Amino acid sequence: MPNKESAAHAQSVELKPQPWRWSHPRVLVEHPDEETGLAIAAGLRYAGYAVAICPGPVGHGRCPLTGPAGCAPAHDADLVVSSLGYEHEAAREVLRELRTRYPDTPLVVEAPADIDGGLGELLDGCHQLPAPASTEQIVVAVQSLAKQDGELGRDDA
Amino acid sequence: MRSPFQSEQEAFRTVLLVVAALALVALAAALGPTWLALVVLAVVLGAVAARVVQLRMHRLRGLEMPVKMAPPHVGSAADRRVLIVANDTLGEDALLSEVDRLAAAPRTHVLLLAPAVISPAARLAGAVDGLLDQARTRIRTALERIGRDDVVAGEISESEPLEAIEDAFATFAPDEVVVSTRWERTDGGLEPGLAGLVRERFAVPVRHLVFEPGSEAREPDRATEARYRQEVGRAAAGRFGLKAVAGAGIAAALAMSMVALVQSNERTEARAVSQAAAERAAAQPPVTSVVALSVIPEYKDGPEGEKHDAFTKTEFTVRAGQPQELRIDNTDEVPHSITSPGAGVNIIVMPGVHTYTLMVKHAGTYLWFCTFQCDEWAMEHPGYMMGYITAS
Repeated sequence: MPNKESAAHAQSVELKPQPWRWSHPRVLVEHPDEETGLAIAAGLRYAGYAVAICPGPVGHGRCPLTGPAGCAPAHDADLVVSSLGYEHEAAREVLRELRTRYPDTPLVVEAPADIDGGLGELLDGCHQLPAPASTEQIVVAVQSLAKQDGELGRDDA
Repeated sequence: MRSPFQSEQEAFRTVLLVVAALALVALAAALGPTWLALVVLAVVLGAVAARVVQLRMHRLRGLEMPVKMAPPHVGSAADRRVLIVANDTLGEDALLSEVDRLAAAPRTHVLLLAPAVISPAARLAGAVDGLLDQARTRIRTALERIGRDDVVAGEISESEPLEAIEDAFATFAPDEVVVSTRWERTDGGLEPGLAGLVRERFAVPVRHLVFEPGSEAREPDRATEARYRQEVGRAAAGRFGLKAVAGAGIAAALAMSMVALVQSNERTEARAVSQAAAERAAAQPPVTSVVALSVIPEYKDGPEGEKHDAFTKTEFTVRAGQPQELRIDNTDEVPHSITSPGAGVNIIVMPGVHTYTLMVKHAGTYLWFCTFQCDEWAMEHPGYMMGYITAS
């Protein structure tokens, strides 16, 4: 598992919207639908993960991850599940920032059936699940990546 | 508002900014006039106030990404943990029935949390014991009536309700939260908008149940929840407005006190200077109100034995800044002068008896001479047509 402190980008950041209040392993779930996000969160919580759910930028203004401030939950997440749908450029920008800022953080992406070239490049190296993925599929994917990646920050806890 | 000491980095930056601001004020006070230091202080206070308002308004408008969080589930997969937050509704039969229904489900653990709703005034006055006792009594009574000690626990908290719930998440890790309130906030009761705040913050299902005496539990519809949210926002804005006004009042009072202090110091210094000058003046010999003298051709013997033109008085002692009258009888047929560029004096002494004013602004000893062509030797020798003015 990458050292989260060293993975922090060098620029001075004011991390928002709120820092994690729970110890590792931490999974950030990006999902625009509240109920589905809660269902995924419940599955992950029962699998032993602390969870943060973010609805993403569409309809909620600019994502701090794409600005100089950065995003505390993304910064300190051990794994990210991204289900933002990528028809919106704002959602792609979030994905781009995640890949750029935290290249060592495992990423599970619910990918649409038709992937254009730009999105394909962004998704390269991610763990892809065909959208819509069930909670069970997501939990299994997270557990699988966690096994590959050690214990997802358990040592840091 | 977000604490400026939430992380080591933020704390360091805050300390750095405070030190820099203080250094600016100190520098202005040391190198410039007092008003400059006050202006710098006002600018610094203004910048701090503007930043606080900006952060607060940002928060109030909910511009931050609404991220919800939750800790890992505790216990086996079959376990279910329910947090029930209630205070003034704890005595309602409908609530106790709901608790009983939840607790009856297998492997369900229930925590009844009663945050004591303590107003800021009560906190300031330290009058919290009564409210805590009230919450304690309500919890105890409710637990006795439910009678399921094995799966239902109770807890009170003197923290703000949202903080108390956050603490419960850290210790109890609920899988579901039920917030119990009245339709409208009552004195000492929980805010109906609390459920919305919990829903915004925590990544677990949150139910808002409203209990009124003798009625079944009901869940507010979306429009009502939205109204509660607006009321919470308005109340927060109102509280912030009051705090801002109070803060501005304190800052204004502080600035006025500093101005008064500075002015008082300046007055004291001016009084001291004035008193010292008066004492110095009192210590000096009195100055004659009018000095009489004459200008007489061939009046005085020179060292070579010849008579030279001369003023009968060539040494003048005056007070700096005070006029001294000279009554001069010029017995010559032409004008003469008492001219001292250093002292700023140029008195043209016309033939005949006239009164002139000799005025020297600054203390010192100054040479004076006659600028009208007369006795050349006398014009170059003190005691004749040349002399000294001493101002003290």
